[in-house]
Amino acid sequence: MITERNRLYFFLFLLCLGGVAWLYRGISSSPGGGPVEACLIKHTIKVPCPSCGSTRSVIALTKGNFIEALKINPLGYLVAAIVFLTPLWIIIDFTTNRKTLFLFYRKAETFLKRPRYAIPLVILMLMNWVWNISKGL
Amino acid sequence: MDAQKVDMFIMSNGKFFESHQIMGIRERLLAMDDSKWVMISTIQFKDPTVSLIVSILAGSLGIDRFIIGDTGLGVGKLLTCGGLGIWAIIDWFLIQGATREKNMEKIQQFLY
Repeated sequence: MITERNRLYFFLFLLCLGGVAWLYRGISSSPGGGPVEACLIKHTIKVPCPSCGSTRSVIALTKGNFIEALKINPLGYLVAAIVFLTPLWIIIDFTTNRKTLFLFYRKAETFLKRPRYAIPLVILMLMNWVWNISKGL
Repeated sequence: MDAQKVDMFIMSNGKFFESHQIMGIRERLLAMDDSKWVMISTIQFKDPTVSLIVSILAGSLGIDRFIIGDTGLGVGKLLTCGGLGIWAIIDWFLIQGATREKNMEKIQQFLY
């Protein structure tokens, strides 16, 4: 159980670290928050994916432009929350030797698997995708 | 359990597991009570080939991870455009093994 927890934490920590590094690169290379493209879908079929623009959205958030962030991609709020809160949560769990994040992750997984929550979320995501395409991100 | 039944199970479901797990599964099944046969033979496993196809076509959206039941990782892939495309490509090679691991977890609930 402990090794499983550590594996998940290591992976999540790495993911968040990558996210922060990517964000740093995005901020330092394009001061105006211009497009930073790395999306496979966008490169191959020239159509933005549901989460395209979240980098720009998070960059806008860090500058305090909350409305602009919402207009670019509302998922930026979720991404920002995950990227900045997860490492903190992992560090707290490690120092207090608990596994609250692991248990929360498991609970969230079973929660998301239920159709009555999954279907509305999928529809929301699809609507966001349509919005992304119409915005031409 | 009857060796013939067990071998039949292994023949028809062998592709759903890692090769090194199959001997262990066979031994556990042989030692198992006959009354569990109906349950064991009706378990639905995820096909690694299907998840590979889904991973190639829609891996950037994390749908491959959703299919095998890794909802958390699926959300992670979805929110990051497939980990900036890198994770999506890595998963083309990992998803079959991950599917087999999930199948192993599933059958383990019945084996132990």
